[in-house]
Amino acid sequence: MTTGPAPTYEPPSWVYDEAVAGDGRPREHVARLMEAVGALAPEQLAALGRRRDRTFIEAGITFDTIGPDGQAVDRPFPLDLVPRVIPASDWSIIKRGLAQRIRALNAFIDDVYHGREMVREGLIPWRLVVSRSHFARQVDGVRPPGGVYTHVAGLDLVRDNDGTWRVLEDNVRTPSGISYVLANRQAMTRLAPRLFQGHRVRPVDHYPQVLLEALRAVAPADEGEATVVVWTPGPLNPAYFEHAFLAHQMGVELVQASDLVVRGDVCYMRTTRGLQRVHAIYRRLDDEFCDPIDFRPDSVIGVPGLLRAYRAGTVAVANAFGTGVADDKAIYPYVPDMIRYYLGEEPILQNVPTYRLDRADEREHVLGRLDELVVKPTSESGGKGVVIGPHASPAELEEVRAAVLAEPGRYIAQELVRLSTVPTVEADGTLAPRHVDLRPFAVFGETIRVIPGGLTRVAMTPGSMLVNSSMGGGSKDTWVLESDGPAADADVADGPEQGERLLPALPEIRWSSAWVGQAQQQQQDDLTAPDGDAAEEEA
Amino acid sequence: MHFAIDYLTEYRYDGEVVDNLNALRARPATTSLQRCDEFHVRTDPETRLHRYVDYFGTEVVEFGIDRPHDHLTIEVRARVTTSAPEPPPEAPWEAVATAAYETAAGEFLLPLAGDPPAERTAELLRLTRGTSPAATVRLLCELLRDRFVYDTQATFVGSTVDDFLTQGGGVCQDFAHLATVLLRGHGIGARYVSGYLWAASPDGGADSLEVATHAWVEALLPGPGERDEPVWVGADPTNGVLAGPTHVKIGHGRHYGDVPPIRGVYRGRARAEPQARVTMTRLDPQTSARA
Repeated sequence: MTTGPAPTYEPPSWVYDEAVAGDGRPREHVARLMEAVGALAPEQLAALGRRRDRTFIEAGITFDTIGPDGQAVDRPFPLDLVPRVIPASDWSIIKRGLAQRIRALNAFIDDVYHGREMVREGLIPWRLVVSRSHFARQVDGVRPPGGVYTHVAGLDLVRDNDGTWRVLEDNVRTPSGISYVLANRQAMTRLAPRLFQGHRVRPVDHYPQVLLEALRAVAPADEGEATVVVWTPGPLNPAYFEHAFLAHQMGVELVQASDLVVRGDVCYMRTTRGLQRVHAIYRRLDDEFCDPIDFRPDSVIGVPGLLRAYRAGTVAVANAFGTGVADDKAIYPYVPDMIRYYLGEEPILQNVPTYRLDRADEREHVLGRLDELVVKPTSESGGKGVVIGPHASPAELEEVRAAVLAEPGRYIAQELVRLSTVPTVEADGTLAPRHVDLRPFAVFGETIRVIPGGLTRVAMTPGSMLVNSSMGGGSKDTWVLESDGPAADADVADGPEQGERLLPALPEIRWSSAWVGQAQQQQQDDLTAPDGDAAEEEA
Repeated sequence: MHFAIDYLTEYRYDGEVVDNLNALRARPATTSLQRCDEFHVRTDPETRLHRYVDYFGTEVVEFGIDRPHDHLTIEVRARVTTSAPEPPPEAPWEAVATAAYETAAGEFLLPLAGDPPAERTAELLRLTRGTSPAATVRLLCELLRDRFVYDTQATFVGSTVDDFLTQGGGVCQDFAHLATVLLRGHGIGARYVSGYLWAASPDGGADSLEVATHAWVEALLPGPGERDEPVWVGADPTNGVLAGPTHVKIGHGRHYGDVPPIRGVYRGRARAEPQARVTMTRLDPQTSARA
């Protein structure tokens, strides 16, 4: 095993590089992978990249970016060929930290719509909670089946300068991106199976089954198997292919509003054999569009009466209505307190240091350091309106100052986290450091299960920390190792049988059957950020 | 005062419709000032009714008619007893700037997404600033009544305060919306109230009247003493008066959308103009005796 520095890869000294330590040596857990990648000549890597692009284009796995002329350009889905490796020891912290955080967020949501104990205790101002745009008065006092609100969570993690994992954002409405996690793994095992040799990588392909089990676990079905559906707003939605993919993988119906109907206080699906009771809905649209009687009356993509069925407890909706109150940026600073208050535990994963601008002292501090900090509007997602102090012009900083002073409650400020870097393949086949974040996915049914790894988003422009796809961001297959044991252990796992077993088997999907035909929609829709939450992240 | 209320809504569709789902907020609230003694809802075609109490405490009756039909009648009958409120408490302006007051007013002090830009209401704010919060409530009601025209053609159900300011006229819903914006602008907690109004002349007149559903506001006024709880005081900017026993409250919210009398949807191509009629009958002995 080579322990010398990788010859073609030089990480910047001012950030945490996940592959190469400060002394220039590869970190233990990636040494073997770096060796395997290093053994490939730049031309081989470039050739592999071309093969990947061809395969993706043929299969319709494409993504849109805006070209220099302002026109949308259809590109192969941006998967980088060097996997990102997370050691088992890191993962065990992340996994426990995420589960803890999601449990606390779930408890908070329940509290907000019931006893409001945390408010009574003076730990969070009621006016802050009630003024969040996703606070849903419609479900006040309604407890969802199983008491679960955050069935699917995709929390965004970043690593700061010393490599510590921190939570940048909580996404507990309809976080998207899991299908890329599965697609990336499948593509990598096909394109570069040899990279997996000597690594025991935890599988991710069981996600659809995990989700289905969770939905069945909370579904209020008295007898027999619960009927689960995936509700998509339709083919024009940017994440439509993911909805279709998940429905297909779970083996359940993909429905639109017109397929669902509420009679009495029960939700049904229209089928060729008449109405069929639905017990759990995995919905991929925001609350306000779900039911024109209770939410926006002009929503034509909703199911009238759904809230009535939900109130009656006859149907589980994932994620639950009103969940968005917990992933507002103004609520984020309070999450560590939620963990302490509801769970009586200390947070395992820390927040990025955040300032609440509605507090005079914190505001004062922030206004003195605007050029160093990141200012974000609350109640927005997808990086909208975010101003990064060190990159902003004096005029922009002045504008932010005025905006903050006018409506302090509408903003938060955060310390700038210089995202960690990982080796990434350049167009010429050489390796260069690029900034990344991580969105792991967790599913809450009977228990909380975290899918190993998650969606690593990569800023493909040198030095950039914009990881969002519409900004030319890419992604990586993200490996969580079974164990961090010595290399000898890895060698044991090197046998062909083991290698076979570790290749994720997705027998039912073929690139050409599951993905073709949706490319067209993707092209139209990725002009906007998918769901508003898979968009750029700057820290 | 005692009233019988008969609130009839009729839809005649020019074809068949199905899956007609509606949420009705029509039951008079039971508060310290009024009591709802009877409340019945009947629909034609008949269907099962579901009831629940919403976030703001208003009873909601929901129902759906799934089979094909070409008409829908919703009849609400209620009996209610009201009493006259105490005169509004007088307290200085400082009393609305306390933490206790702000806590009591809660979300009813917060700006809303549909609020007009500040410069649109600056002059009205200046003109309605009274010597005290209570004086402001009175002043504001009178000023809006005098400045704006009651005009059923000027606005529609989805009109904004901005539209109302531009039109210079509208209906009670618009008067109430503007009043809440102005009250909040003064730092006074304000909520939108939906209800019925007995609009007979004070000297009696008929004991049965055709009215419509009405809208007014409630302002949170600080109690006279520092330790007194603030109280919600009804005010009717359409008529330029404080609310009294002739105002029968159904419920309140931040705006119309939180407490609409009827909201519904159906499937089908047919269209219908709703016909709504509210008949209020005064049941007090002296009135009956005179009749």
